[in-house]
Amino acid sequence: MRLNFLSVAWVALLLAILAFLVVYPVLMLLLGALTDTNPVVDGFGVFRLSVENFTTVLTNPNVGEALANTLIACGGGTVVAVVIGLAFSWIVVRTNTPCKRFLAAASILPLFAPPLVAGVAWVILGSPKTGLINTLFKWVNLDWRVDFYTLGGLVFVFGIYYAPYVYMFTASALRNMDPSLEEAAEVSGASAFATLFSVTFPLIMPAIISGTLLSFIVMLGIYGIPAVLGAPTNINVLTTYIFKLTNWSPPLYNTAAAVAIILMVVTGLLVYLQQKVLTGRSYTTVAGKAFRPRSVDLGPWRWPVLGLAVLYLCIVVVLPLLALIVAAFRKFMFIRDAASLVDLRQYSMVHFDSIFDNPLTLRSIYNAVEVGLITALTGGILAFAIGYTIYRTRAPGRRTIDLLSTLPVAIPGLVIGVAYLWAWIGLPGGLYGTIWILALAFIARFMPDTVKALSTSFLQIHRELEEAAWLCGKGMLGTIRTIMLPLASPGVIAAMTLLFVLSIRELGSSLFLYTSNTMVMSVLLLDYYEGGNIGKTAAFSLVQTVLLGVLIGFANWLSRGASQASVGRTG
Amino acid sequence: MTGKIPATLDVAGLRKQFSVGRPAIDGVSFAVPPGEIVVLLGPSGCGKTTTLRCVAGLEYPTEGTISIAGRIVSSPAQGILVPPRLRDLGMVFQSYAVWPHMTVRQNVVYPLKHRKTGRAEALRKVDEVLALVGLSEYAERPVVALSGGQMQRVALARSIVYRPQLLLLDEPLSNLDAKLRLRLRDDLRRILKQTGMTALYVTHDQAEAVVIGDRIGVMRDGKLLQMGSPDEIYNRPADLFVANFTGATNELTGTLVERNGAFGVVDLGNGQRAEAALIHALGPGEKVRIALRPENIAIGKHDGSNSFHARILDRRYQGTQTIYDIDLFGRRLEVLELGTAARHEVGVDAPVSLPRTICWAYRDEGPLTNQ
Ligand SMILES: Nc1ncnc2c1ncn2[C@@H]1O[C@H](COP(=O)(O)OP(=O)(O)OP(=O)(O)O)[C@@H](O)[C@H]1O
Ligand SMILES: [Mg+2]
Repeated sequence: MRLNFLSVAWVALLLAILAFLVVYPVLMLLLGALTDTNPVVDGFGVFRLSVENFTTVLTNPNVGEALANTLIACGGGTVVAVVIGLAFSWIVVRTNTPCKRFLAAASILPLFAPPLVAGVAWVILGSPKTGLINTLFKWVNLDWRVDFYTLGGLVFVFGIYYAPYVYMFTASALRNMDPSLEEAAEVSGASAFATLFSVTFPLIMPAIISGTLLSFIVMLGIYGIPAVLGAPTNINVLTTYIFKLTNWSPPLYNTAAAVAIILMVVTGLLVYLQQKVLTGRSYTTVAGKAFRPRSVDLGPWRWPVLGLAVLYLCIVVVLPLLALIVAAFRKFMFIRDAASLVDLRQYSMVHFDSIFDNPLTLRSIYNAVEVGLITALTGGILAFAIGYTIYRTRAPGRRTIDLLSTLPVAIPGLVIGVAYLWAWIGLPGGLYGTIWILALAFIARFMPDTVKALSTSFLQIHRELEEAAWLCGKGMLGTIRTIMLPLASPGVIAAMTLLFVLSIRELGSSLFLYTSNTMVMSVLLLDYYEGGNIGKTAAFSLVQTVLLGVLIGFANWLSRGASQASVGRTG
Repeated sequence: MTGKIPATLDVAGLRKQFSVGRPAIDGVSFAVPPGEIVVLLGPSGCGKTTTLRCVAGLEYPTEGTISIAGRIVSSPAQGILVPPRLRDLGMVFQSYAVWPHMTVRQNVVYPLKHRKTGRAEALRKVDEVLALVGLSEYAERPVVALSGGQMQRVALARSIVYRPQLLLLDEPLSNLDAKLRLRLRDDLRRILKQTGMTALYVTHDQAEAVVIGDRIGVMRDGKLLQMGSPDEIYNRPADLFVANFTGATNELTGTLVERNGAFGVVDLGNGQRAEAALIHALGPGEKVRIALRPENIAIGKHDGSNSFHARILDRRYQGTQTIYDIDLFGRRLEVLELGTAARHEVGVDAPVSLPRTICWAYRDEGPLTNQ
């Protein structure tokens, strides 16, 4: 590199930005956990260091209970997710079940459902008294009742919504597996069942383990689902407990920071473990080899199997959507019998009218879009700069840049929120209370996903195209402008759209950073829920769902399906 | 090794139509007597693997019957389809398909586990078969720590450890380097003959087919063109494709002028005539194509009825053999001469003789399109 000074300055600038976005807030969080000063009351900069917070937190029975609940909900949810995900990938990749293409495409839909909206839908379906499922049971004179305001309910909802993570990993591992490995077992005398357990599953074990870990990690960081399902019966998990701590008066910011640190360390360890499993030797992937797809002939069983798969999709997509629609358009949620369910006089737009009468509603949509735009543009440009530096230059320090920009993978959204709170709340006249603090937190939170989404489009552009431009006398910037940007622009636009979608859905970090002026959609939705009016909550959920649906459709159209995987770990 | 009596394999009228394209197998019939090794030989895509997989039960035939040891295992017309694990056969896959998450011993013992074999007996059988393939020292190694040739032998050991009544092998040597391939193909025949199993072996390598097979079946476009001993295939190919595929790459076209018994006189144009063996039933006046192996043309000799003068156009010395291009009244032919000496100079005229028994005349149906 000829202009050595310039490249050093460039790397220094990127490192400074990353330090500002990621390192500083995390350090402040750590500092917060290690002091007993209240940043709001005591002002900034007076810190008395102690590890007292951690000792109190670790001996606090409430934390213990929240931790136990978290482990049960996430552990149980992961088991459900693994069973569903594995079964689904086997059905889609390895059997002759009809409509496999449709099943494969539909199976990742649950990933797009915002956790809060999913939670609300399952409240409508599964609440012990007014839940639609119970109403239905009563109507057909069945003596069954379901109650989703329990740990079991959490396990179920977690399990069905995060099964696609397991599916994505195992389906691709199954596709990359030489089918003759299974055929050899069959010829050797093993039954289809024995083959599955002695050959197929052991061979894709790395994929199963990393999908399992990923779904567990995502569940750990989810706020929306446990917030709505756990609230009525006061079941706390770590995320909801952290938020409660900051909502007490006076707010226990230090304790919250300590619990957040614990959550971050656990997540970090699991992410590390998952990366290890992923990079460890995988038996199944043979580079560039295409295998003839092998499918087990299920015979007449293929119809029941198709039925099961469709049932899953109904439970996870259709049923919740119907529930939201019913609740949003019905004047009263009380449904006496089935006849009243189809009685059109019971339906109206009253809930929509009432949410749009509230000036906060439009304000929150406006805010969400504004934050989304800032995040998408700034975050997209930053990710482009980082991605280009990592993948296309030999600048010194690019490894550190890589490391810092992937660090947020191990930080749940809620923890980022607490960290940003600590980083800015005590600074007078600072970012706290503006739209920008939300945008910056989102940029930091989604940095790894954006860089990763962009890197695939970088890697597709041949280095020689750039070198040809250099040889023609173009400078580095000129080359980027005339070669890289035009070629990578579909990828960049897709990444920005993805960023936009993600920031509109984001709840965990917004919770700690909004003020009444900067209220965003997802926070207001939670407000409506906590206000107790299920009709308005459902109506606003539908508004958010439609908005997201349109955006995701647009993103998908732009990237021809490449954005699916990137919703990835964010939940 | 002692075991079951090897079985007969009978394939009759086998047809397989995939959802797309022309039939992959189109009316193939053959039989493999007990203890015999039959090789299916043919160019890529001719349907060898599909035939083998139909016999194994991994592919479902559209028509025809397959019986093993007199039991029908597949017959769409009668609605019979026995699953692979109940056909009692062994199979060696082209990709070996040894299980990478197991050791050599675990791989080999796997079929026995699914066949209710006692522990002690299983152990003994595994040791016996590992000794047979020469892998005794490697029993406890993970298979991923083996070379390609060793993996191939694990695959073989795994498929014969339970002494199936029929063994199927799909290009088991094609992933190995040339030298190893030569060594292993002799080993393979020795092992197969030692176990006395009936075997169906698929390859596209004619040299391999000749060494391994008791009989060879040549396939093309889903059809079985000829089934016979290597000697028959090499010395009396049933049609032009078989001749060409097994190395008779020279062709002369002409018209049959008269026939006497198994031979006939062919007019090659320019007033040149040659005698040829008539493989097809041909009558005078018919257009014919004569196939000739480069090894069978002798330069420098002048005997028999088919003796001509030719000019040497080109010489390619290959160490142990030399290949000449010669001009025989306007046609270019290839001649192969064994030996480390290249005896003929380029540009000279030399006598050549084409003994009539090696000039195979076929009905002229136009030039071969592929191969
Ligand atoms: N699952 C399938 N679906 C559709 N067509 C197939 C399928 N399997 C094989 N074919 C077709 O059937 C024909 C025969 O294939 P097969 O694999 O038997 O060839 P082969 O003789 O084994 O060739 P090779 O020497 O390359 O292995 C080919 O034209 C192939 O394209
Ligand atoms: Mg083949």
